[in-house]
Amino acid sequence: MFKAARGEAVDRPPCICPGGMMNAIVQDIMLKSGCTWPESHYDAEKMAKLALSLYLSGGFENCGVPFCMTVEAEAMGAIVDIGDMDAEPHVVNSALNSTQDYASLKNLDLNSGRVKTVLDAIKIIKAEDKTVPVIGNITGPISTAGQLVDMARLLIDMRKSPEDCHKFINIVCDNLINFAIAQVQAGADVICIAEPSGTGEILGAELFNNFTIKYLNKILDALNDYQEIIKIVHICGKLKSVYNELDKLNCDVFSMDSAVDLKTLRDYIPGKRLMGNVSTHAIGTMNETKVIDLTQNAVARGADIVAPACGLPVFTPLNNIRSMVAAVRQG
Amino acid sequence: MAASKEDLLQKLSDCVFEMEDEEVVNVAKEYAEAGYDPLEGILKGLVNGINRASDMYEREEYFIPELLICSSAMYNALDVLRPLIPKEKSGGKCKVVIGVARGDTHDIGKNLVKIMLESANYEVIDLGRDVPVEDFVNTAKREGAKVIGLSTLMSTSMNNMAKVVDMLKQEGIKDQIKVIVGGGPISQSFADKIGADGYSVNAAEAVKLVDRLVGEPIPAA
Repeated sequence: MFKAARGEAVDRPPCICPGGMMNAIVQDIMLKSGCTWPESHYDAEKMAKLALSLYLSGGFENCGVPFCMTVEAEAMGAIVDIGDMDAEPHVVNSALNSTQDYASLKNLDLNSGRVKTVLDAIKIIKAEDKTVPVIGNITGPISTAGQLVDMARLLIDMRKSPEDCHKFINIVCDNLINFAIAQVQAGADVICIAEPSGTGEILGAELFNNFTIKYLNKILDALNDYQEIIKIVHICGKLKSVYNELDKLNCDVFSMDSAVDLKTLRDYIPGKRLMGNVSTHAIGTMNETKVIDLTQNAVARGADIVAPACGLPVFTPLNNIRSMVAAVRQG
Repeated sequence: MAASKEDLLQKLSDCVFEMEDEEVVNVAKEYAEAGYDPLEGILKGLVNGINRASDMYEREEYFIPELLICSSAMYNALDVLRPLIPKEKSGGKCKVVIGVARGDTHDIGKNLVKIMLESANYEVIDLGRDVPVEDFVNTAKREGAKVIGLSTLMSTSMNNMAKVVDMLKQEGIKDQIKVIVGGGPISQSFADKIGADGYSVNAAEAVKLVDRLVGEPIPAA
């Protein structure tokens, strides 16, 4: 995986699923490991065991934590419903009424709550298994900001009061940087930043440049002291309106949604490795033959790293994940 | 001299289209004070403006932030004009219960559908986001709604969409209440699979879908 991410020669692409927004955990593996949701979202031992169990059961070729995209927003003041076996944790109340209130944001504390759970889980996984690549996940600055104030408010303020919006997202970004560096220090080999809300499909090219790229790069550049870390950025949605902007991202690997054609994107970002983009709808609901077909198609379209195109539905059969990984291994 | 009705209709439309969400209120007041027909102001002014914005969105010249400011301009002016419409005229079409299925709180798509349905004169009961399965069904029963609209951006709440359909079946009222679904991870094949009555790819199509399902004549463009 490390070679593939750096663009060195490999005999086949790795098959991974980062975690975080791009959740890899399914009910089959919760039942198998005895580490269920929601407990595994706030218990570091269970979080680590759940991630390791998936890896050891013929699942993806990595471990990734956490299993949702609400850790950062919760730590900065948003109210989260922790969900259940069927539902991921999700924000039910924003921390702020408007971006102008940025002064009242809480700073993310590395020593408490689910932030600490994630850091501890990374250490536990590293102690249990020295060889497995561990991916630490960060929710992107726009997506985190969009949970700290109502997303619609944020989008409107990007146009109507950009100065306050920049101040607000800068604070969010500084907190995300602290969390990312702490994940690296805890032992993460890879940092994956997922930006589902900051996509070009929602923002258009101008705002995508002024906000999404600017702040993703701020986090990516803050990790420059850690040369050995692989940096992945995942952006959801169609990207046609921003194809020409994506090369500005200072990441090693770019991961995309199934709505994007991997081969087309290659021409726009020749310098990065491409990751993706097997439909999670297919992995979740179709039979193994179809999953294998789509996986082989992703390889044929030139995926340097094969991965689901988004977070997996929690009802996805474990056998479909195994088939996907096996299909990549067999080439 | 007071501005002509045509000028003011054009101004209302332009304010919505050009994201003038404060100026639009002044124009709506001027329109109302001149005694012009409020319903016409909504349909030929505000809705015209939001339709032009939707066209720009389809052409990828407007994106969601622009569309949201256009909508808030429309809503600001609706607050002025709607109270002036005589009751029997505003009743309009049937009731639609709408919400984001439990497991998700992304509601921009749902809100756009609500705006479009309301501007097409449906009475929309908005349950908000992260809505439990039984709330959809119970509200639809209580209110006599003919349609339930379910939205999600997250695959984890797709299961709950299926549960709404199942609950309607269990209660034997599936044929009385149509279910429509939409959102990022949703497709026509998913709608077919869970037994929903329809899927729509965007907010404008959702109106046509509801018109078709409840048998409203589709107005000529």
